[in-house]
Amino acid sequence: MQLSCNLKKSILILSILVLVNFATRAQILCSNRLSGHILDEQRLPLTGATVYILEVNRGKVCDVNGFFEFTELCSGAYTIEIKFVGYATRQIKINLTKNERVEVQLLPDEKLLNEVVIEDHIDLVSKTANSQSLSGVALEATSGKSLGEALQNITGVNTIQSGPAIFKPVIHGVHSQRILILNNGVRQEGQQWGADHAPEIDPFIATKIVVVKDASAIRYGTDALGGVVIVTPAELPTDQKIGGQIHVLGATNGRSGVLSGMLEGGFKNNSGWGWRMQGTAKQSGDMHAASYNLSNTGFKELNYSLSTGYHKGNKGFEVYFSRFNTTIGILRGSVVGSTQDLADALEKEPPQYTEPFTYQIAEPRQEVIHNLLKLTGHVRKGNDLFNLRYGFQLNNRKEFDVRRGTLKNIPALGYDLYTQTLDLEWERTLSNTHTRAVGMNGLWQDNNKIDGTQTIPFIPNYTSLSGGLYWIERLSKDKWDAEFGARYDLRFYDVVGFDFANKLYRTSYNFKNVSATAAATYQFTSNSSITSSIGSAWRPPNVAELYSLGTHQSAASIEYGLLLDETTNQVNELSDIDFNSEQALKWVNTYRYHKNKFNVEVVGYINYIFNYIYLRPRGVTQNVRGIFPYFRYTQTDASFIGSDILIGQELFPGLLLQGRISLLRAADVTNNDYLIFIPPNRYEVLLRYNNAKVASMTNLFAEVKLRYVAKQTRAPRVVSIPTILEAKEQGIDLFENDYQNFDFVDSPDAYFLTSVSGGISRPFSNSKMELRVSVENLTNTAFREYSNRMRYYADDLGRNFSIALKYSF
Amino acid sequence: MKTSLKLIFPAIICCSLILFSGCENDDPEPENVPELITKITLKFSPVGGGDVITTTATDPDGEGVQDIQVDGPINLAKEKQYTLTLELINGLYQQGQDGYDVSKEVEEEGEEHQFFFSFSEGIFSSPTGTGNIKDNASSTVGTINYLDEDVNGRPIGLSTSWTTAGVATTGKSFRVILKHQPELKSNTSTSLDGESDLDITFVVNVN
Repeated sequence: MQLSCNLKKSILILSILVLVNFATRAQILCSNRLSGHILDEQRLPLTGATVYILEVNRGKVCDVNGFFEFTELCSGAYTIEIKFVGYATRQIKINLTKNERVEVQLLPDEKLLNEVVIEDHIDLVSKTANSQSLSGVALEATSGKSLGEALQNITGVNTIQSGPAIFKPVIHGVHSQRILILNNGVRQEGQQWGADHAPEIDPFIATKIVVVKDASAIRYGTDALGGVVIVTPAELPTDQKIGGQIHVLGATNGRSGVLSGMLEGGFKNNSGWGWRMQGTAKQSGDMHAASYNLSNTGFKELNYSLSTGYHKGNKGFEVYFSRFNTTIGILRGSVVGSTQDLADALEKEPPQYTEPFTYQIAEPRQEVIHNLLKLTGHVRKGNDLFNLRYGFQLNNRKEFDVRRGTLKNIPALGYDLYTQTLDLEWERTLSNTHTRAVGMNGLWQDNNKIDGTQTIPFIPNYTSLSGGLYWIERLSKDKWDAEFGARYDLRFYDVVGFDFANKLYRTSYNFKNVSATAAATYQFTSNSSITSSIGSAWRPPNVAELYSLGTHQSAASIEYGLLLDETTNQVNELSDIDFNSEQALKWVNTYRYHKNKFNVEVVGYINYIFNYIYLRPRGVTQNVRGIFPYFRYTQTDASFIGSDILIGQELFPGLLLQGRISLLRAADVTNNDYLIFIPPNRYEVLLRYNNAKVASMTNLFAEVKLRYVAKQTRAPRVVSIPTILEAKEQGIDLFENDYQNFDFVDSPDAYFLTSVSGGISRPFSNSKMELRVSVENLTNTAFREYSNRMRYYADDLGRNFSIALKYSF
Repeated sequence: MKTSLKLIFPAIICCSLILFSGCENDDPEPENVPELITKITLKFSPVGGGDVITTTATDPDGEGVQDIQVDGPINLAKEKQYTLTLELINGLYQQGQDGYDVSKEVEEEGEEHQFFFSFSEGIFSSPTGTGNIKDNASSTVGTINYLDEDVNGRPIGLSTSWTTAGVATTGKSFRVILKHQPELKSNTSTSLDGESDLDITFVVNVN
């Protein structure tokens, strides 16, 4: 909405300019042409930027590909001013003696951006946040991929994987319940406790994905210890014109296809009203490693969303509904019944049950449906802005395991999770330099097992009710921007579940906490700035951490929650154990510098998490199926220290060299130990050639990307399965007095991957066709990724050719 | 528009308040847990009559932290032929209920289950060797005298035949594995295929 308003404004300004121009034009006969290309900070075209030549009062608006052109200019010196909403205005001087082509990059003006946002409704990202975003061409390059996989393109964001189709984002080393995902403004609530439970969001809904790397509990609520992922769709259109997009993608690895479409428009005679509908269908068969098929790793997805809303003047509201529906196969060879089986599976390559390619998805598999209904509204009165957001989510998750006989047709794990959220915010502009925001968040949640699974539920049923209040002050002066905030939260749980003997237990308890944050940005010059934020965040424990009971098949380990008694296995009351909620203190600094064709962004962070909850090996137990190491959720203090570095240099016009580095050191401070599944250091070099205009085509690009992922040397010790079994045979409990973390196998070796891609666009009068081809893992390298749980059983993905077509109108 | 906005916000707030107020849950229904084996009984019946030698292993807490309780040793007589029958019980059911007798289910789904055995060398004259449990893909194994078969004519192992050797031995091991091999059980499948439903080692004396 913001954009289209500004577009209208620009068009109006342009029309005036053109009229003025007509009046002055015919005075001198001149024939020079000035054309150019306007790019944003990521060197993506800035559609709609206005270009204005001061001396002759002539203006142009950049087309969809960021191009503009002036003709019939006289030779001479000109000052060109380029403007775009949210970006710092630039003036360049040019001495025109012949036809010239210029390329100008605009950079976001954070102050300006904020002012613009205040005009409309409240932006979710404050200007003092250490954040990075994925939008435009960079986002499009990930189309067809899952949210987690797409997010890997942001420096400092990795993934924890369970096979080729399940990606969970990891920000600065933490994931799952420590990352908050805002889907269209509403906090995404699924069964996020599971490392193999991917976020239920279709990235095709988004035009922008922002990752805030701060401990951002204040604005967004509990759980954001590692950061926040904000998935934002485009504003609804307000004009009547119908527009849309169609994406068609195909890839060789998995023989997959994706079809996604979007249609949007306004309503006749109802100015201010807009609507949009969008849908995506995906299907993939078994993926392929470098030298064998990965049986049962196919997936299918069918998602859609509908929205309509009204926005005019100082108020607006929107109704949004989305449904995400996926079935994901999990590598058949990763199913093990005991430690002995796991030892066998570790040896086998290709994995057990490797069969020829198929689209069939058998057991084990996950079937997940996520529904979201969202209602939002905002009203601006003078200096006050009121924002309201209500969300209803129903998450239905079923996990099917390899089971005896007909049991395989019923899920071994099944939950319906209902969530309602209500957010209210009041923002007051006290002066040009001072804003205050006060708000509340409410959350009601009800988790129910799906009856008939014929297993003792892994986590209990529960109802939880939370409330939070916050206060944020924002100040700006000269080169400074600062933000301070504090927050109070209360969460109540009512839990009912079944213990190991299938006996019912019922209990209730509550948690409360205060958190605070302070952040500032200092703009040294127009070329460089530093942002520093220190924030505390907390999260109440997830029921999985308190009550988990059972075996994770693909891990061949038994997991026990914090509340399960060490000797009797009975469920304790929370007040009987020594427990403190997790608290994080995260300090993040971002330094940005850009000049001419060079830009650099360096992020340094320390995240210290007190009472960090994690699964720690505690012993070996024997049941009828064999010998199992068992893990118990325990608390410790953990630290995550790291750096994200992004350097870009334009070598020649159109040729961009970019380097990205993400470094991380994580440790269990209390026990002086390493943590498991911490993403290893990674280094990327990207060489990209852009040619804005080739005959009737535009945006020709070719890109080579090299990725080197180091071996994780800061990994826990290795205790092999034969060692565990031998010790058990001799009556020795290896873990009795030695709770150090361990892994069954050494971390995988470093690997090096090459990918290439290229694309071109063909603009038509009112539409555009884009083609993109790419090859990932060009050399078909066999590799295993440390943070992919499939690494125990099989290699990661082999070569993949893909082709994508996009038509927008 | 103004009036509808004025109506919509209070309506949302009211609805939310009603929805947020929550409701008291009834107790959830407990699940039947048919896949659990809490007790396994080995019955060595002497061929031609005599006392049946019974040994059990029990796991009272299933997925719980307590170790399985393996009774024994199994005291067999020298140079005697025995029929070994295996009984698997799920103690979360009452006797007589469906699901209590897991061995019956294994028999019914015989085409995807098989028992494998290994034992210390020299305790039996038939079978000879150390049994048919493989340590790894390249190890060679012996045979077992299976007395039952599935619908495809392949062994299950709920009933097997054993003849003890003529030498007295003590403290020898006897391991039983039950493998679940859906669509995997074949003439060439081994103890390395499929998932373990059961894996217990007993102590045997031959007197």
